[in-house]
Amino acid sequence: MGKNKYITAIVVGAGAGGGIVAKELATSNIKVTLFERGDWPSYDKHFNDELISQRVQDLGTSFGPDGKKNPRVLISPDGKRNTVYRAVNHIAACVGSGTVSYGAMAWRFMPEDFKMKSTYGAVEGSTLDDWPISYEDLAPSYDKAEREIGVAGDMSGIPFAPNKDNPYPMPPFEYSREGEFLKNVCQNMELHPFPVPMLRNSVPYNGRGACIRNRYCVGTACPVNAKNGTQNTVIPVAMQTGNCEVKTNCFVYKIHTDGKGKATGVAYFDENNKSKTLEADIIVLSASAHETARLLLNSKSVEFPNGIGNNNDWVGRNHQGHSYTGAVALFDFDILDLTTGPNTTLGIMDYNHHNKGIIGGGLLANEFFLGPYAFTDQRPPGSPTWGKEHKKYQRENYQRTGLLVGPIQEIPIFDARVTIAEDVKDFWGVPVAAFSGGHHPLDKINCQFLSSKAEEIFIKAGAVKIWRRGGGEGQQGGGQHQGGTCRMGNNPATSVTDSFGRIHDMENLYVADGSLMVTNGGFNPVLTIMALAFRVGGHIASKWM
Amino acid sequence: MKYNRRNFIKQCIALYGSTLLLPACSTRGKTQTYRSFSPLQADCLGAICEQIIPTDEYPGAIDSGVVNYIDRQIYIRFPELKELYHEGIQAVNSYCTSVYNKEFTALSWDDQTQLLLTMEKGELPEEHWEKASQREFFRIVRRNTMQGFYGAPHHGGNKDYISYRMMNLNYPFIAGQNRYGEK
Repeated sequence: MGKNKYITAIVVGAGAGGGIVAKELATSNIKVTLFERGDWPSYDKHFNDELISQRVQDLGTSFGPDGKKNPRVLISPDGKRNTVYRAVNHIAACVGSGTVSYGAMAWRFMPEDFKMKSTYGAVEGSTLDDWPISYEDLAPSYDKAEREIGVAGDMSGIPFAPNKDNPYPMPPFEYSREGEFLKNVCQNMELHPFPVPMLRNSVPYNGRGACIRNRYCVGTACPVNAKNGTQNTVIPVAMQTGNCEVKTNCFVYKIHTDGKGKATGVAYFDENNKSKTLEADIIVLSASAHETARLLLNSKSVEFPNGIGNNNDWVGRNHQGHSYTGAVALFDFDILDLTTGPNTTLGIMDYNHHNKGIIGGGLLANEFFLGPYAFTDQRPPGSPTWGKEHKKYQRENYQRTGLLVGPIQEIPIFDARVTIAEDVKDFWGVPVAAFSGGHHPLDKINCQFLSSKAEEIFIKAGAVKIWRRGGGEGQQGGGQHQGGTCRMGNNPATSVTDSFGRIHDMENLYVADGSLMVTNGGFNPVLTIMALAFRVGGHIASKWM
Repeated sequence: MKYNRRNFIKQCIALYGSTLLLPACSTRGKTQTYRSFSPLQADCLGAICEQIIPTDEYPGAIDSGVVNYIDRQIYIRFPELKELYHEGIQAVNSYCTSVYNKEFTALSWDDQTQLLLTMEKGELPEEHWEKASQREFFRIVRRNTMQGFYGAPHHGGNKDYISYRMMNLNYPFIAGQNRYGEK
């Protein structure tokens, strides 16, 4: 390569993973084109609107994608196909993507989460495996994510926290009324409560102000830009280098290869829906576990008749999400204080690992405030769902209802997968993603375990009525915590990428998003996705420059 | 009258005032018109919605503009729901006429409640429901009613933030009003 030529890279998707990779490459003097199918986000567009948010999508999503242009096919266990023309997985499509509208919980996985098979042994009917990297391998990247994106928290004194001796860059958020109350209950039960680490500014940080404790935070953008995502941290840094161009409203639909193990460029539809191509030396896919798998599967060639990286039929397999379970409790006093927000402040990780008979487990945290409309479905089983009683319940108990919930670590299965529905096309004529497969039977049992623990806490807290949430059954849809579809591994026969996210058989094609996750942990995955992106981006920069 | 500047301005003011008053006068006593429903359909739908969120110490679905919300959403976002609504309303009235010899709106409150409970379970005689599914119709109306009453007012329902007031939520919402740093 001549001395005067820059190395060029394409990053597909400007979310949690892509934004970070773009910054890592741009600051290493690689010329990056960052593709985003959505637009720049704006808070004002959906100001405090419960019905158009990422959380409640009844009238649409606040940050795309447009469901009518982006259908999905759901294939039920009995083979019935259902094409849906609405956003089905709570994934955003804008610069920053889910990091604009997320709840911003910033969990590190535990060392056991990277060694599920060696910790628990092989599980029948499951693709459960160890990661090709350990917690220690990823720890420096977690550090980077916490500092460069910005996390507030305090894990000191929590014996299970791998970073208990490693302070966060910002002090923790104060407990909400519900958080404080449940923290005391947990302490009395000899559990280990702590303030949930958050990707929000508890104090001014990184050139932006502190959180205003907005009541409804999750599902919308922050009105004062105090929630930290890639759109207000690493992506601006990447752009300031002069080495990163962000192409918004541009949808990448195919990767071109040279037939000799090298990716040469991408085909995309620009903002005027015209098909174009762009070439680059390096290509990184950060389009989400669903869209990255779809893009690879849609990129068929002589070399890869079943899609890139899919000669062993692993792309799209091992599809995981998070069954969110827990318990709801009714108190005879106002447990919520709606003058502050967004409420999630208390966490426990006593039920992640080392619980007899449970493979994995999950965290518990008190839940973000539900909006008034979402609360209409929060009723004890058997209660009226409409009419006078329902309305009375709504006003009497909105502030008296506590929720303790968490994501159960799902046990991955080979048949939970993302495939291509060749006959269903999106707005641009590109075949869409189809989801099929369900859950491992252990998921339901693990959900029962975690929800019974939430129930125990509420019993000790003196709730007058408690009901448990189920979960772990039915169709695997991935949800906003989608992962696993291009799992990393040392053995090309049973994985899609190597331990640095490079697709086996490909010299210059990488993945940096939730697709890489071998197992999905019992934690919200975003900080791990960010750490993986720092790892992949850092590796590419060191290898190519 | 002398046509000078002062009189001209006076006339303008008088004229402007009357144009402001005119629309108010003309709509008085007239029922609201909808884009997706005839007045009779809207009355029947309103009665169903009112059952779902009845008036008590606080206004119910009708007074909070739920029918307006549904009408608006069908017009703007979900034109495909129009048919289900029309067929559902027709089926409800067809059943009421055959059993009570009057329309849904003329039924007693308790009869209306009973009918909807039966419809929710899908147990009304199927001969009136050849086109629309009664359970689906009920599910959609219930959901849309909740959205209209408890969602943000700019979508056409929740007039005067009524549900937020009822739930003791301080509104109108001002971002940043939330207290912080206080103990």
